[in-house]
Amino acid sequence: MALLQISEPGGITTQTERKRAVGIDLGTTNSLVAARCGDSVETLPDSQGRHLLPSVVRYLPEGQPALTGYQALDGLLTDPLNTIVSVKRLLGKNGDEISDNSSFLTGRFVVDQTNDALVITTVAGDKQPLEVSADILRVLSERAESYLSGPLDGVVITVPAYFNDAQRQQTRDAARLAGLKVLRLLNEPTSAAVAYGLDSGDQGNVVVFDLGGGTFDVSILSLQKGVFQVLATGGDTNLGGDDFDDKLAQWILEQSGANSELDPGERNALLHLARQMKHDLSEKDPIDVSYADWSGSLDNEQYARITANLIDRTIKVCRRVLRDAKLSIAQINNIVLVGGATRMPVIRNQVQKLFQREPLVSIDPDKVVAIGAGIQADVLIGNKTADSFLLLDVNPLSLGIETMGELVEKIIPRNTTIPVARTQEFTTYKDGQTVMLIHVLQGERELVSDCRSLARFEVRGIPPMVAGAAKIRVTFQIDADGLLSVDAKELSTGTSTRIQVKPSYGLGSNEIENMLKESQENAQSDMKARALKESLIEAEQLLEALESAIAVDGDLLTDDEALKLSEAGAALKKALQTENSREIHRLTEKLNGASEGFAAKRMDVQIVDALCGESIDTMSQDGK
Amino acid sequence: MLLQNKNFFQIFSIPEAYDLDPVLLAENYRELQAQVHPDRFANASEAEKLQAVKSTSVLNDAYETLRSPQGRAAHLLQLRDVDVSKVSQSDLSPALLFEQIQLREELEDIPRDEKSLNKLDHMRKQIEEKVRDCQKLFVKNFNTGQLLRAKSNYYEMQYLFKLLSDMDAIEEDLLGY
Repeated sequence: MALLQISEPGGITTQTERKRAVGIDLGTTNSLVAARCGDSVETLPDSQGRHLLPSVVRYLPEGQPALTGYQALDGLLTDPLNTIVSVKRLLGKNGDEISDNSSFLTGRFVVDQTNDALVITTVAGDKQPLEVSADILRVLSERAESYLSGPLDGVVITVPAYFNDAQRQQTRDAARLAGLKVLRLLNEPTSAAVAYGLDSGDQGNVVVFDLGGGTFDVSILSLQKGVFQVLATGGDTNLGGDDFDDKLAQWILEQSGANSELDPGERNALLHLARQMKHDLSEKDPIDVSYADWSGSLDNEQYARITANLIDRTIKVCRRVLRDAKLSIAQINNIVLVGGATRMPVIRNQVQKLFQREPLVSIDPDKVVAIGAGIQADVLIGNKTADSFLLLDVNPLSLGIETMGELVEKIIPRNTTIPVARTQEFTTYKDGQTVMLIHVLQGERELVSDCRSLARFEVRGIPPMVAGAAKIRVTFQIDADGLLSVDAKELSTGTSTRIQVKPSYGLGSNEIENMLKESQENAQSDMKARALKESLIEAEQLLEALESAIAVDGDLLTDDEALKLSEAGAALKKALQTENSREIHRLTEKLNGASEGFAAKRMDVQIVDALCGESIDTMSQDGK
Repeated sequence: MLLQNKNFFQIFSIPEAYDLDPVLLAENYRELQAQVHPDRFANASEAEKLQAVKSTSVLNDAYETLRSPQGRAAHLLQLRDVDVSKVSQSDLSPALLFEQIQLREELEDIPRDEKSLNKLDHMRKQIEEKVRDCQKLFVKNFNTGQLLRAKSNYYEMQYLFKLLSDMDAIEEDLLGY
């Protein structure tokens, strides 16, 4: 618990047993889970010793459980319509955004007209992309639970740095649906840098070049005394190893002159061949190729020409990110390669040429992200001393609001260190106007139609006044996971209308609960037991943490505050006996609320201590 | 709470002056981040998590402000009760406006093709020189209590930085980013 951590930044005094925390790389093509095993963090294998879990789910008719991973792979050829691949490409997207990707996707898609959400029609019913992701997460968490012999206390899930708010929100929702507690969404490149243990000792700038199955990210991090600060990040959510397969597949069709009208099964077989060729080219040069009744050969030079346009796109992104970070190539100290697609010699050569430096490749590029996430999970859950390193991330895309003429006004520019909060004041433009519409967008372009719409919301209950007299202050807050929340206050009358806005694509708690119920209808009693256990753990952790905090910093509390805390604490303790999870949860929240002021006071003490124990109050007097 | 301190220099316990030691600022920033960042509270109560997000946001804002040459100037003026968000006619001399218009025209005249990258670069150096001069004047005026003049220097700085960022955008366009 952090209350303990802030009282003992160097180590946790009352730690009883190791908590179970894992890092999950939820990839487009493959997923992995990593946990601490003795001294190092390693990826966990399945019962057959395989570390990668193909991110493939095959849905079966009537009550049969879905197949996941290797078991589902056969379905790509035999049952393509019910076998879902590359679902990560669909997370957080709406109907319009999908058409660009259609060539990679199997399955049938329907766009739900009511909320523009995408659904996949399968023999087991309609599936939202996040449900498919949750099915993959479940398999990984079961693997980890059996390895660590017990339920998980928390997970860190990695996402491409370039993921927008919708994609992050859906990743979080998928984890909730899989019953996991997310400690943090960690950007993949940051995770890779952590895995390379570029820690306390090292200093300098690192480029992380991450070309995965479906996404491409480049980030530049600076390392100073155990703090990893992301300076800039960029990428392309629609570029990955799959695109290289696609290019090769097109080439094969052209060369062989074979019929290009393929059914989904044939198409998957062709892509499979292309992928195999891509892998072979990393080992051997040239390779022999045959398709239908055609045969030929291919070398890396030819391959580079076929994929030149894709390689150029990656290099362009690198240059742009360097520019954003305001660094020259000479100022880069290390290059980390991530993602299976960086095994391709055509990519390695280009990267080496651009940065004039040999990239680091000692950790398997498929595993490096999961390993970093595992290390971070271990730190966040409190197993490792918390001050060993700190990750400071940035928001990858600018956040703005719609203004007159369908233009976007940027409020938080890209590559701003997060968490960040910005406020903006608005006023009414008509006499007596009581409602105001605010449209939040994400993206770099100037026109509303070129950016991703995140949320539209109304500020209601503005007191009627002459135009321009009302003042509405809107606060945009991006948290450490890169997720946005917005709230608005009406200032002029002193009555503050407070609203919390959840972007439209996020799921409400009720929706998640309903989905959980549907997916676990037979496990009702299990769910109840789980809910009770969760609420008990939550309550006990809070009580324990608060008691230790009071023991250390109790003198910060006024008598009144101390009384309120002890009353709320006593009520919660009493409720623990009742086995009523809802009541326990309610009282935990209440105690939480009552401790807010205390938390703020303790943080002040920390801050003062941080700067050489000098009191900031004293300094402010000296400063004047 | 302390981070609600309106004086960002005090948050980082550095002297309240335009010329600052960026290394010390960065070090103190990291030191404070290590205490308040939400990752330190990943497993904590909601109240503490919220507090951490708020504190870190303020810290990041303060750091960004002080790191930015314009942000720092605006903040210094604000601490002297000079509100830079209210521009009055007298803040902008005709000479200043005339020069800015000229620079804008110069930028407009550069053809938008890849061969112009050198020209852009040349102009950038020229503007950066102007920024440095302007900063020196700001410091001089600010330190001698001529706040209205310092305010005017601040606006000139703003014009120049806006010009630089527009040049960036043009360059990015030309490079096809």
